[in-house]
Amino acid sequence: MASNFLGGGHEVQPGEQPYEFFLTFRSGGRLVPSARFKKSAFSIIPGIFLLLLGLLCSSTLLFSAVTLPGDNFYPGWKKSDRLVTFTRADLYNYIDGGAELFLEFGFEKVYVQRYSSGDSELTLEIYEMETPEAALGVYLAKCGQETPLEGLPARNSGEESQFTILRERYFIHVNNFAGGQELLPVMLALARAALQNLPLDRPIALLDYLPNENLVKNSERLIRGPYALQPIFTFGEGDILQLEGQVFGVVGSYLDEKGNITTRLVIPYPDETRARAALEHLRQNFDPYHKILETKPSGFTFVDYQQKFGRVELKGSILDIQINLPQQPGLESCF
Amino acid sequence: MPKSRYKSMYPPFRFDRREFFKMSGTASLGLLMTRTLLSAEKAQTAPTGQAAAPARPATNIEEALRVPRTKYSLPGLFPGKVVEVHDPRAMDSESGKPSAEVIKGMFEKGIANLTGQNLKKSFDLFFTKDDVVGIKVNPVGAGLISTRLEVVDAIIEWLEKNGMKRQNIIIWDRFDYMLKDAGFTPERFPGVGIEGLQTMDEAAAEGKSQDNSTWLRPDGSHVSAPNFDQDVYYWADVEGPKDLAYLNQHVFNGKYSYFGKLLTRKLTKIINVPVFKNTGNAISMATKNIGYGAVCNTNRLHKPLFLDVCVEVPAFPVIRDKMVLNITDGLRAQYEGGPGPEAKFTYFYNRLFFATDPFALDMVCHRLIVEKRKSMGIQVNEHPRFTEYLRYAQKLGLGVVDDKMQHIRA
Repeated sequence: MASNFLGGGHEVQPGEQPYEFFLTFRSGGRLVPSARFKKSAFSIIPGIFLLLLGLLCSSTLLFSAVTLPGDNFYPGWKKSDRLVTFTRADLYNYIDGGAELFLEFGFEKVYVQRYSSGDSELTLEIYEMETPEAALGVYLAKCGQETPLEGLPARNSGEESQFTILRERYFIHVNNFAGGQELLPVMLALARAALQNLPLDRPIALLDYLPNENLVKNSERLIRGPYALQPIFTFGEGDILQLEGQVFGVVGSYLDEKGNITTRLVIPYPDETRARAALEHLRQNFDPYHKILETKPSGFTFVDYQQKFGRVELKGSILDIQINLPQQPGLESCF
Repeated sequence: MPKSRYKSMYPPFRFDRREFFKMSGTASLGLLMTRTLLSAEKAQTAPTGQAAAPARPATNIEEALRVPRTKYSLPGLFPGKVVEVHDPRAMDSESGKPSAEVIKGMFEKGIANLTGQNLKKSFDLFFTKDDVVGIKVNPVGAGLISTRLEVVDAIIEWLEKNGMKRQNIIIWDRFDYMLKDAGFTPERFPGVGIEGLQTMDEAAAEGKSQDNSTWLRPDGSHVSAPNFDQDVYYWADVEGPKDLAYLNQHVFNGKYSYFGKLLTRKLTKIINVPVFKNTGNAISMATKNIGYGAVCNTNRLHKPLFLDVCVEVPAFPVIRDKMVLNITDGLRAQYEGGPGPEAKFTYFYNRLFFATDPFALDMVCHRLIVEKRKSMGIQVNEHPRFTEYLRYAQKLGLGVVDDKMQHIRA
């Protein structure tokens, strides 16, 4: 049965198996209709046909590894509602006001399943992202101060009302909207069951762009557009760094010997031409609350609205930005 | 161009309780792009010459400003004054349940400290017995971060004790089903009016149903369209999308955001009772609760005008001259993930804030939530753009947010 790809949220019909897998094809960055197969109904011929079709029209083939826990993942607990899914086209119907961040990082689909036992209810959300970097970006933006739970085989942060979990290209929420510690064992069981068939993490080299020395632990963030950049710093209007939802940047905080916290953004563009174009766009449209102090072809220094200093430097195809500096950086050190 | 002159007040009259509705929360969207008049001016004169602010869409704010003010007009009887009342017993940290008795005491303390009068004289400052008072709640995030029923209980008790009839009190929001979800039902508040300005078919909005007959009339209009006053509107030179999903949620598209008839024809006073929560780097409290809750067709406004709407909609006399009191419910607050509910970022704050001036109130609360966000290790961008709208309000004479503001901890 075909999933409702471009339409609204999809309800899985009664009788469908709880364990399913999904195929999604991408073509030039655009999705083409995905196909859903019940495990029991999977047949070789349509599978091969779709596989060939996907290979013909797509440079990337994404296999969804989502398997939803069935009833009795914990004694007495079962599904209390139908599975609902949302795609890029209708995610805002599910998280109105919060969809933009997911879409900016690269969102594919979310699976929402409620479970209940008596009056207690939990909700499982599995967000399938384009890449592990996209999932990490959302996780770092959403996890707050990480409070990992023991016993979960994945990076996570959790407490009695919500678990936030990262595994490969999957971002997971287990929600207990009523709160209360008594459901913690059930939440753990649900999270473990959801993780069971997801692929293991792959190393993310992007974080290596941040120098390790003096890096504040767990301060790393990713950016891929203006929504993720918003809580970090205002450089100007819109997609001021020209990330275009394609280029990832990495952000970290640093503690110097005097106790000052500074922030560094490192953005590796695909090539120097794009990096230079981004630098020029930034320079020309720099937020008027800040003042550019000195400028050269390869970058500029500035003082911000809080009288703290910053430096933007082009290094080949990389834009290296430092903000919240206590003193004006010397030009000779960076240009 | 606006289609006709703005009408500020209508004689109060009763109309039938009707279908109800929902509120858009696409809040973070506009934070990226919005730029208030103040910042636009600043950009034009910025010494760096780096950036020119993008043109802000025209609005009919000038029409609102031309209407003569009354003694109740914002910033109200106590410009710039904000009273904070804290009682750690208000919310039971184990059960999460509010204490009605403690909250009532906090309410009475807050009112008395705001006005400097006893409860009876305070009532007389703001109301007459014949007023029709609308209590604007925030039901988003029902039960978790929505306006506590016990706060509304305390308000109603105060109004009733001073001679106001229950039928002259109306709890309202933009969306009917949200009120119900949050516990604002006739059973819980017998004799008190409960009204949403519009209804919305949630199933259709979430794609669970292709049946639009519950909200779409054969002539292509929304069933809640008659609930909005097409003579009283906020106009902005931004088109609302023409698709059915938008119409379902926003009743109208086009360039007009009509005020609910509840406000234009029925209510004579408004008490605004928002909750204490963030929306991105900004807040979604007093001015957003009323700015985006009193009119339809709002989603179109988020991107180009987001926080300015929190100033310009309340600048219209239908709110400016009626909204006499604001009480921010900070009993359970949310410092991150807003405006939608995110349980892990909520905390028991056990505070109520009182003001006639919603802009001063929001400025105080903005500073407090920034402190909280920092203390919780959240990345905080303190760029002035996130509070520019409050200074814009002061410039329009609607609030006092500079150093003349008073933050009193009672």
